[in-house]
Amino acid sequence: MWKIIVRRFILMIPQLFVLSLLVFFLAKFMPGDPFTGLITPQTDPARLEELSEKAGLNDPWPVQYVRWIGNALQGEFGISYTFKRDVAELIGERALNTFWLSLLSVILLYTIAIPLGILAGRYHNSRLDKTIILYSFITYAIPTFVLSLLFLYLFGYKLEWFPTSGSVDIEYSSGTIQYYWSKLHHILLPTITYAILGTTGIIQFLRSEIIDAKAMDYVRTARSKGIPIKKVYTKHIFRNSLLPIAAFLGFTITGLLGGSIFIETIFGYPGMGQLFISSIASRDYSVITALVMLYGFLTLLGSLLSDIIMSIVDPRIRIE
Amino acid sequence: MKITRWIILAPIILTLLILAAFSRVDETLIIKTEDEMIETAAPSSHSPFEMSVTNKGKPIDGGVLKVAMVKDEPFQGIFSWELYEDGYDADLMSWASNSLFEVDENFMITNEGIASMYVDQKNNKVTVTIREGVKWSDGKPLKIEDVILPYHIIAHKDYPGVRYNTEFQNIIGVKEYHEGKADTIKGIRKVDDRTIEISFKQLSPSIFYGGDGLWTYAAPSHQIGHIPVEELVQSDAVRKNPVTLGAFKIDKIVPGESVQYVKNEHYWKGEPKLDGVLVKVVPSSSVSVAIGTGDFDIIQHFNATKMPEIENYDNITILGRPELFYSYLGFKVGKYDYTKNTVVTDLEGSKMGDVNLRKAMAYALDIEQVSEVLYNNLRVRANSLIPPVFESFHDDSLKGYVYDPEKAQKLLDKAGYIDVDGDGFRENPKGKKLEIKLASMAGDSTQEEITAYYLQNWKDVGLNVTLTTGRLIEFNSFYDMVKADHPEIDVFMGAWGTGTNPSPAGLYGAADQYNFSRYTSELLETTIQNIDSPQAFDKYYRAKQFKNFQKHIEEVATTVPMQFRYEIYPINKRVKNYSIDLKNPTELHEIELIAKEPFASK
Repeated sequence: MWKIIVRRFILMIPQLFVLSLLVFFLAKFMPGDPFTGLITPQTDPARLEELSEKAGLNDPWPVQYVRWIGNALQGEFGISYTFKRDVAELIGERALNTFWLSLLSVILLYTIAIPLGILAGRYHNSRLDKTIILYSFITYAIPTFVLSLLFLYLFGYKLEWFPTSGSVDIEYSSGTIQYYWSKLHHILLPTITYAILGTTGIIQFLRSEIIDAKAMDYVRTARSKGIPIKKVYTKHIFRNSLLPIAAFLGFTITGLLGGSIFIETIFGYPGMGQLFISSIASRDYSVITALVMLYGFLTLLGSLLSDIIMSIVDPRIRIE
Repeated sequence: MKITRWIILAPIILTLLILAAFSRVDETLIIKTEDEMIETAAPSSHSPFEMSVTNKGKPIDGGVLKVAMVKDEPFQGIFSWELYEDGYDADLMSWASNSLFEVDENFMITNEGIASMYVDQKNNKVTVTIREGVKWSDGKPLKIEDVILPYHIIAHKDYPGVRYNTEFQNIIGVKEYHEGKADTIKGIRKVDDRTIEISFKQLSPSIFYGGDGLWTYAAPSHQIGHIPVEELVQSDAVRKNPVTLGAFKIDKIVPGESVQYVKNEHYWKGEPKLDGVLVKVVPSSSVSVAIGTGDFDIIQHFNATKMPEIENYDNITILGRPELFYSYLGFKVGKYDYTKNTVVTDLEGSKMGDVNLRKAMAYALDIEQVSEVLYNNLRVRANSLIPPVFESFHDDSLKGYVYDPEKAQKLLDKAGYIDVDGDGFRENPKGKKLEIKLASMAGDSTQEEITAYYLQNWKDVGLNVTLTTGRLIEFNSFYDMVKADHPEIDVFMGAWGTGTNPSPAGLYGAADQYNFSRYTSELLETTIQNIDSPQAFDKYYRAKQFKNFQKHIEEVATTVPMQFRYEIYPINKRVKNYSIDLKNPTELHEIELIAKEPFASK
């Protein structure tokens, strides 16, 4: 298996290379440049021209590409045009915010969804099952921003259980216990919202897998051997029903850095989603390209991880 | 079966209930708005809002002022007047300001500030003298080097910002320094420990507004003097702990989210009454609720279209002031020659060359209705290209193009734009089909409604106006296309923030790239030059030239003013006294609070 993994990693190089070509030239095809947004009656077109020249934006695209890829290979993604900061540092800061938010969300999501899915599948067609289905339809149907605003209004402003915006209270200094508590407190509400909205898929997959499995031969065999029903569920059915979920686990793990533009905007939480959107709007080339490359790499890695996880979970699958 | 039906129906019913609840709230709010607007509607020349508020109550000792900055993205956090680019950063810095000068009600520099200025018009020299005993927030004295340093930052070859411009090059020796031919700027001479003398190539009245290349901020040379200009923007001195001169100093920053200030004990006007200020970025989606629950004292950048959401709160006073802004309708009547750097007007050869056609299009727009219904009267029809805040320059005798579709029809008939083939649209005087292409910038959802309404307005007078590219155009593309005189653009809708110097130079001159309508004439060019000529040091002369400019543009109608705009500031009743009047703003160190926490609405 190790051979395969190494081979997959080597295969990523040409894939990422093609991606880098695509993203670089598509970014350049967009009208405007990072300086278009600076036009006011006081800005001098000649100065903007001088700045573009200095930034190398007037060179032919292939020249710019070679320069960029050369730097990128050395881990040097340049300076953000908008934030005037090192891109790696900027993305690092936002990625950390997003990572904690997503990690907690995913944990919470599985904690809610897996038991509900199992219960719905096991007590198929019961009142409990129907309630769970109703719940999952509602959460599936509610748009992210509606539920976020509703929760923010209810739990943030009315009941005042949670802070309403930002990632941390300013009065605590970094490193203290209060500081980390404040950080956790700030991500709880967005986390809950995110988790509740994401449960449908898992519940439905798990439920239908369990219902299918119940009629399978191996379950009947197990039962006829006299294995208690409880044990059949936990040992036999559960493991098999988790397969489709495990198939996505790799993407879920690498997707932790994706970020959600709705959640971040409504809860005023500086994360990756917002950074991506705003960098496109302001033509912040260095940030756009770095982010797309990062996401590209994560997607490839995600699919590899999924394959590995599958081969561990399901002994029938071997990646050779 | 019953239960299954429930499963399908329940979410639908629930959604309907939620929607119903929301829409009902909206309706009542809107109805109330209209009622109240009728009551408060005032003549257009006067602001319908109060600009200052005083609340009764005994001031508490100290306290922290809570400020919300409405913004859906993190702020950039470049705390340097020389380097920042985003207006939000300027707002954040203003609490700690490094401003040297104070201005009067005409935005002209006075001698009341940290520095005073003497202008020697004959020799094109300006002497700047700083007060004695002014200290930086870290207790170090303000030196004359701190006034000289910013010039050397901006003119430096590694300076990354936009402020090194033609205007800045008006200072003698700046160009040589920028190109590396000189070690210092020749035109800036230290006279003594409190005085510098700056030599300019040519002075104009703009100097009194902080223009002509004069820099009106100090930079702490003891803190940043040794940092290479290239590294300055990423340095902690700019990002984390800038040393400042204003009433408050930055104590803590959560990048992109919030800034905490404490009072500056060394503030030259006296110790501030507040203990500090806390500014937080608040998403626009929830700010109205936050105002109602009393989370904040002052709200900056509140979006005017959300006015109905907060109008009924009893814990706030809504202050408003006219912005230094106008939006306009531009007609392309020429091209910009980028090799010769000049505007080439071609009225004969342009689709929009006929003045009657342009005027008719202006009269046909029901801007009044748009301002009232979609902007809750927070915008008003503009009558000229100089916002009324500039009282001595603004010509309020101009009528502008008040909505008059009949007049528009008459003008078109007279000019020979008549519907020959009976398809409902007018043909041009030669009898050929006339399709006018409008470029409009994409914005929020109201922008789409407004554009559709204007297209209808034009259709009503028989003009076939369609959108360039078929839809609203994203900001960057819009300016790219307008700048390049894209053949698909005949008319476009844009806007300018004027800053405190309303001079039309740079926007309407014969050499200006930003003269997007590409109209120039001898009269216009001389008027613009007159406005900034040495002769215009005479106030009355300058005012007259400003009026000539506005009149001329109204006559040729190549750029039609559309709207002036108000910005509003909800202020919690906890704040003892506050004024947003640009002409008489609150002194930050005198702000007081009358309760421990902001009040919540009942």
